[in-house]
Amino acid sequence: MQFWRRRSLWLALSASSLLLTLLGFFPFLRLAVSPRPQPAAPQGWPRWLDTASLRSFSQPEEPPEDVPQPPQAPHGTSCSWGICFDTSRCRGDGLKVFAHAAAQPTSEMHRRILASLEGSRYHTRNLTEACLLFVLSPEDPDGQCGPAPQHWNGGRNHLVIRLHPDPCPQASQLGQAMVAQASPRVDTFRPGFDVALPLLPEAHPFRGGAPGQLQQHSPHPRAALLALAEEGGRWRTAGTYSSTCPWDGHCEQDLGPKQTRPEEKLPNATFCLIPGQRAEASRFLQALQVLAALQEMAPARVLALRQQTQFLWAAYFSSVEKVIHTTLEIIQDRILGASAHPSLLWNSPPGALLALSTFSRSPQDFPFYHLQQGSRPEGRFSALIWVGTSSQHPLKLIQAVAGSQHCAQILVLWSSEKPLPPKWPETTVPLTVMDGHRKVSDRFFPYSAISTDAILSLDAHSSLSTSEVDFAFVVWQSFPERMVGFLTWNHFWDETRSGWGYTAEMANEFSMVLTAAAFYHRYYHSLFTHSLPKALRTLADEAPACVDVLMNFLVAAATKLPPIKVPFSKQHQGAAPLAPRIPASGSQPQPPHQDCINRMVAEFGHMPLVSSRLRLDPVLFKDPVSVQRKKYRRLEKP
Amino acid sequence: MCASVKHSSRGPALIPRMKTKHRIYYVALFSVVLLGLLATGVFQFWPHSIEASGDWAVEKRSAAVPVVRLPRDSPVPERGDLSCRMHTCFDVYRCGFNPKNKIKVYIYSLKKYVDELGAPVSSTISREYNELLAAIADSDYYTDDISRACLFVPSIDLLSQHALRIRETAQALAQLSRWDRGTNHLLFNMLPGGPPDYNTALDVPRDRALLAGGGFSTWTYRQGYDVSIPVYSPLSAEVALPEKGPGPRRYFLLSSQMAIHPEYREEIEALQAKHGEAVLVLDKCTNLSEGVLSIRKRCHKHQVFDYPQVLQEATFCVVLRGARLGQAALSDVLQAGCVPVIIADSYILPFSEVLDWKRASVVVPEEKIADVYSILQSIPRRQMEEMQRQARWFWEAYFQSIKAIALATLQIINDRIYPYAAISYEEWNDPPAVKWSSVSNPLFLPLIPPQSQGFTAIVLTYDRVESLFRVITEVSKVPSLSKLLVVWNNQNKNPPEDSLWPKIRVPLKVVRTAENKLSNRFFPYDEIETEAVLAIDDDIIMLTSDELQFGYEVWREFPDRLVGYPGRLHLWDHEMNKWKYESEWTNEVSMVLTGAAFYHKYFNYLYTYKMPGDIKNWVDAHMNCEDIAMNFLVANVTGKAVIKVTPRKKFKCPECTAIDGLSLDQTHMVERSECINKFASVFGTMPLKVVEHRADPVLYKDDFPEKLKSFPNIGSL
Repeated sequence: MQFWRRRSLWLALSASSLLLTLLGFFPFLRLAVSPRPQPAAPQGWPRWLDTASLRSFSQPEEPPEDVPQPPQAPHGTSCSWGICFDTSRCRGDGLKVFAHAAAQPTSEMHRRILASLEGSRYHTRNLTEACLLFVLSPEDPDGQCGPAPQHWNGGRNHLVIRLHPDPCPQASQLGQAMVAQASPRVDTFRPGFDVALPLLPEAHPFRGGAPGQLQQHSPHPRAALLALAEEGGRWRTAGTYSSTCPWDGHCEQDLGPKQTRPEEKLPNATFCLIPGQRAEASRFLQALQVLAALQEMAPARVLALRQQTQFLWAAYFSSVEKVIHTTLEIIQDRILGASAHPSLLWNSPPGALLALSTFSRSPQDFPFYHLQQGSRPEGRFSALIWVGTSSQHPLKLIQAVAGSQHCAQILVLWSSEKPLPPKWPETTVPLTVMDGHRKVSDRFFPYSAISTDAILSLDAHSSLSTSEVDFAFVVWQSFPERMVGFLTWNHFWDETRSGWGYTAEMANEFSMVLTAAAFYHRYYHSLFTHSLPKALRTLADEAPACVDVLMNFLVAAATKLPPIKVPFSKQHQGAAPLAPRIPASGSQPQPPHQDCINRMVAEFGHMPLVSSRLRLDPVLFKDPVSVQRKKYRRLEKP
Repeated sequence: MCASVKHSSRGPALIPRMKTKHRIYYVALFSVVLLGLLATGVFQFWPHSIEASGDWAVEKRSAAVPVVRLPRDSPVPERGDLSCRMHTCFDVYRCGFNPKNKIKVYIYSLKKYVDELGAPVSSTISREYNELLAAIADSDYYTDDISRACLFVPSIDLLSQHALRIRETAQALAQLSRWDRGTNHLLFNMLPGGPPDYNTALDVPRDRALLAGGGFSTWTYRQGYDVSIPVYSPLSAEVALPEKGPGPRRYFLLSSQMAIHPEYREEIEALQAKHGEAVLVLDKCTNLSEGVLSIRKRCHKHQVFDYPQVLQEATFCVVLRGARLGQAALSDVLQAGCVPVIIADSYILPFSEVLDWKRASVVVPEEKIADVYSILQSIPRRQMEEMQRQARWFWEAYFQSIKAIALATLQIINDRIYPYAAISYEEWNDPPAVKWSSVSNPLFLPLIPPQSQGFTAIVLTYDRVESLFRVITEVSKVPSLSKLLVVWNNQNKNPPEDSLWPKIRVPLKVVRTAENKLSNRFFPYDEIETEAVLAIDDDIIMLTSDELQFGYEVWREFPDRLVGYPGRLHLWDHEMNKWKYESEWTNEVSMVLTGAAFYHKYFNYLYTYKMPGDIKNWVDAHMNCEDIAMNFLVANVTGKAVIKVTPRKKFKCPECTAIDGLSLDQTHMVERSECINKFASVFGTMPLKVVEHRADPVLYKDDFPEKLKSFPNIGSL
């Protein structure tokens, strides 16, 4: 019995050890077996045994390549930037464009194009300093191609604008001239040299233009997923969000006869399929494939594409002026080479026309791209105090501002007739006095002395406490692209005068902050000085109250957003008001020189100001809690 | 293993000797264990040999490759159509079978081509082309089914034209089984042309075939059809150059190529004479001792430098064209993180269809060689450093191996065929560090939605009907409310009958849920027709109509943010070394409670379908912290802070203070802190942004007649 018991014990032991070993083995077996493809596995590229002995494709004993060919002479259609354009003529001032005498306006559209060119900062009236000659090709589609204009020089450094595709059959006839035209042909278009334009409708506005029709980020699901453009301006729609409506004819609907106004003929669809010039029998099949692909598209991508259409439209397409300025900016970028706009600046708001490449090539230097760059604005600001003719010495103001922990420097712009005072207060931060030119627009000049991203713009008579400055700056850091100010104005549409007006009265909304005390990014000094038409800057010099309106127009046009108001203690308002320099009531007729707002609307082509109904206060502002808890106590002094 | 089996089977016969067998048995056991260990060792240390010897695919080339004899008069393809574009010469309908927007690529099997006399047409396949085909075969693009393929790659090695017999190679191409004038065929070539005129594209007649070529010029490159690829540098694999931090280096400008036209060399040497130490011009070494690889050495006068290591000593490196436009030196220069200064007129830069070379290089026209120094001097330091990083990144992503070159080429063609699924500019060009730190806000378009749209209020409720009805009545007084949605989260009880609900001026809908989950409040219900959503609990009755309307107005100005009432803060606890939840009345906020908060409907979609990790399930399991999760989510995708509105500090209704004991509060705080730590670890970062402001109406607490204020009744703490 004992034997049997023992035997069974041994049996159990041996069985378990067997099991253990097997268990321990199996993973190895699996590891060794599994990489082996099954016999039926697809045949890839074989792993040749002689791989190690293969020779490299580039053999050192190859004959040395030391005989470069001379660059092939430019011929006809094969122009490239480096060969057909002489950039040496653009050295110094960069791009300067001269409208050729031959470019006499023959139509309304031509007139708009030439006016756009004349409004550009690249325009010159002096042929000798021009490095690009601007030629408008005749409007008439069957018009003769005309003799070459004067100074043609084989077309070198010429830009020919063609509104209609190919009036002259031979592209080579244009030689070394760049051609900007709508729907260029792929076999004659020279990438990196020619410019493709949108087709400009006859009624395209000269300036401003209608904003995109998307008023919200993600509208309701549209009636149709896809609309297909057909002959004669008609659209055919297919597919809905709710059902998987196939392209089987049941979902198709003809949207009626040809209509002329663009907004009427646009279908209520998420995507619009616009086939190219070649009408093929296979279009039906293609549309079906597109539909299938679109249904798979992630909502996030649809959302992004939809917003991008609106941005591109508003930045580059909505007016003739934008189209022409964009064309010139593209050429300017080619001239600049390494310091051209990076791709990000072209493709995200506010767009390359409002992000000057002359300011910086690093996106993080601008106020617009911190999110995309993963960067943040600098933690310090420069106070820029403007001392006008009737101002007193800004002694108290300097002390209040210098008391801020975020203040990096104080710059005094002395624009007064009075002599400079000999003594300045002792401050912990550097204080620099600059002599101004007695012009109001001077205060927005991009002085090289400004060393920080943030500027606190101040008038000598402004009165602020250190608490107010600190809090406003902390708020600005969250909104570096906006103006952050203390006193506000509001604009309104005046029915009685059929024009815009503005008021300094206390109201439930505001759309402008006064630059007598406001934080903003130093980039706006560059934008003010280099991108605004001279007429507007002169206007501001003639009517000083206009300069605030102008600066607010400029920032709103770039951001499409309202400025930000922060609390301002009452005590200053009584003692030394941040002088509202306009009549208190806007409904009274204003003297003509002060009616700057309507002149600016005309120059900008639209009303860029946006109203806001909120003020940003400290989190515990005027709350009935212990004052000891509060960080910005002085803000609440009555 | 075998031993033990044997032993036990023999067991019965050994019974009489059992006692003495104890020891034997132990020995057997040990031997089994030993065997096991041994086997482990074998598998651990020889895995490759086992795999290799068993690999079906390893073949002897000489034995396996069939020979194809090309008759002298076998057809030669047309020369190559310069007007070819994707829509004229490429047959996209062959790509119709390809799922997931990915083209399928077929590789012809390897054959040896000989002419009529039996002389081989080309030398054997090069190491690089072998690698290239293996890379394609290993990729997702590969198919072995020729009838389903969209793109065909011959196994005829065309990388270097130098090694080819032009006419016979073309004949070999023409007899490929699916050649069809070269439609949808992709040929790879890195060294085109030959002496004396060195064409910039492969001279082999190839009809409509696509050419992935190194060294295209604007005259030979068919924009949008051909693909410009790098000339691979074998040094990439031989020499490891560790990445060097950006910044100015010892030499400002370096020229390291050996075969430079004497005229150009003169001009560059003139730069050296003018700027001294800052410019270094190297040439081949004339007096090297035997056995030293001359290709890895460069000399300046009698000084010898190691190549490519010397490239790491320069900020900018000249890449001049030789007889060919494409130079392998470009790859070496990028690898060294040196900014290439490309002087090769009309050269189509590698992958320029997708790569933004302005970010990584400086292109200078040949006639401006003399100005190179001043052009480079005008580049600001920050831009130069970005270019150095970008250059290195381009090398790592697209130049460093044959595999990288092959896959980038296929991806470019894939992007053309499925443009709507194409890889974005950022994905091609942004280095990983930028991709990681940058935020692309899904609601990036700056606009203020029209007020007329209004908002949809969503009330999550279980069974507090009385309180729910009060909330409905209160919220319905808000002017901009356009719809009210009640999410009935109680599966055991039916919602009250229609007649019992409060009569309000906007549509009221009840949605019943399948499960009592907190995440139901953030579901993107089809019933939500507005962009703005107000999430509100069924016990929030203290908010005034002005307060809610103002909240909606604030949301309109910040449609990409969470806009809420009581704010909360996260803090770093230095003692515990972790995050802590703070509900004290501080000067800062980083979160708002979603017991009542406005936000964009899109975030409901993100919460439901794109919440990272297991956060959504975790919240449902713990029945807590859904609001913190939403705060994390929105801050992470937008990179922006919340907006707290009005002085409101807490939601507690006066009558429910009794149940809030101190201990309850503390457990609550611990749980909330845990949530923050959990979410921060799932997100891999702390996305919440701290701010010191809240939004009040413009005239809040200003000395102004109350009746003229838009929002006079803005509520209390």
